[in-house]
Amino acid sequence: MTQAQAGDTRIDWEAALVQRACSGDTRAFERLYREHAGRVYGLCLRMTRDAHLAEDCTQETFINAWRALPRFETRSSLSTWLHRIAVNVSLAKRRKASPVEPSREDEAGGGGALEWTLETPVEVQEIEAAIGALPDGARDALVLHALYGYSHLEAARMLGVAEGTCKAQLHRARKLLRERLNVEVG
Amino acid sequence: MSGTGSGEERKVSALRELPPAIEPARDLWPQIEARINAERSTAPAAQSRPRAVPPRWLAAAAVVASVAVGVWIGRSLLPAARSGSGVESTISASRATAAGAPTALDVAYVPDPRYERDRAALMRSLQARLAALPPPARAKVMASLAAIHRAKEDLENALGKDPGNALLQELLVNTYQDEMRVLTDVHEAGDAGRGI
Repeated sequence: MTQAQAGDTRIDWEAALVQRACSGDTRAFERLYREHAGRVYGLCLRMTRDAHLAEDCTQETFINAWRALPRFETRSSLSTWLHRIAVNVSLAKRRKASPVEPSREDEAGGGGALEWTLETPVEVQEIEAAIGALPDGARDALVLHALYGYSHLEAARMLGVAEGTCKAQLHRARKLLRERLNVEVG
Repeated sequence: MSGTGSGEERKVSALRELPPAIEPARDLWPQIEARINAERSTAPAAQSRPRAVPPRWLAAAAVVASVAVGVWIGRSLLPAARSGSGVESTISASRATAAGAPTALDVAYVPDPRYERDRAALMRSLQARLAALPPPARAKVMASLAAIHRAKEDLENALGKDPGNALLQELLVNTYQDEMRVLTDVHEAGDAGRGI
C-alpha cells in the first residue's frame, strides 16, 4: 500500500469513527481520543507550562469536541480542529490562571513543566526548557509554527491575532532561542 | 551554550525533531467519559444528535413510529389466522411465488380478517376522501403513503433474503400499522383536513 493510500484509509477510518461518535458512540470517541490525546496534551502543555493545567485543558478540549462534533465537517482535519479547540481552551485557562514565571529549573534549563525520562536526550530537555522560558506570545507562535507545522496564517487564526503579529512573535522567539541556545533555529 | 559545532547541530536537529505528542502522565479518558455521560444523563435530547440522515431513512424511521392496529393484533390475538385457515391476505397475494408456493413472508405475515376488512374499506374510501382534502393535506397524505409503500417494499425485499430476521419482521409489521394510521386519519379528517 502506498503512503497516499494508507493516508486515505486512515482518513476514512477516522471519518467513520467521527460519524459513530456523532451518533452517541462513546467507544468510537474514545478511540479518537487515544489517537489524538498525545498531540493535544503536548500542545496544551507547551502553551500552559503546567502539567496539571495541561491535563485540565486536554480534558476540556475533548469534552468541547464531543459537544461540537455534530458541527465538525469531516472533510477538514480532525487534528487541526482539535488543536484549534485546545488553543482556545489553553489561552482561556492561561488568562484565568496566575501567571507562571519561569522557575529556577527553567532558567537552568533542567526541568520545568515537561517531565523528562532518562531516555530524553539532553538536547531535547535543553531546548524544551528554552521554549518554555519564552514569553507566552512568542512561545505560542513558535510551538504552532515550528513544532506543529501550521502556517503563519493558520497559527495566527488559532491564536486570534493578525498574521503579521504572529510572524513578529515567531521572529522574537527565534531571536530569544538563538541567544539562549547560541544556535540558529528554524 | 555548547561551543562545539557538533553540539549546535544536535540542538538544531532536536528542535526540528521535537515530538509534537507528549503522553499525559495519567489516563485522562475516564474523567472525560464521566463528564460526557453526566451531560448525557442530564440532557438526553441534546445528545440524540440528528445528523445528515438520508431522507430515505427518515421516512423509514417515521414508518417505524407506532400505531397499534392490524397485523400485529392479527398475529397476537388470532393464532387461527396463522394456521392456514384460508384467510387470504394482501401480503400473501403479493408475495406468492410464480410457482404458487408461499414465501417465508406468507408464513410469517397472515393478517387477521378484521384488519383486512377494515383496510379494504378504508382503501375504498381513500380516493373520495383525498379528493375532498385541501391540496397541502392531500400532498402530505400522498407523500406519507408513498414513503410507507417504499419502506414496505424495501423491507419485503430484505426479508426475502433474510426471512428469519426478527427486526425486519417487526419493522414490516410496523409499516402496516402506520399505513393503517394514515388511512384512519384520512378517513376521520374533516374536509378542511384537520388532524393531518
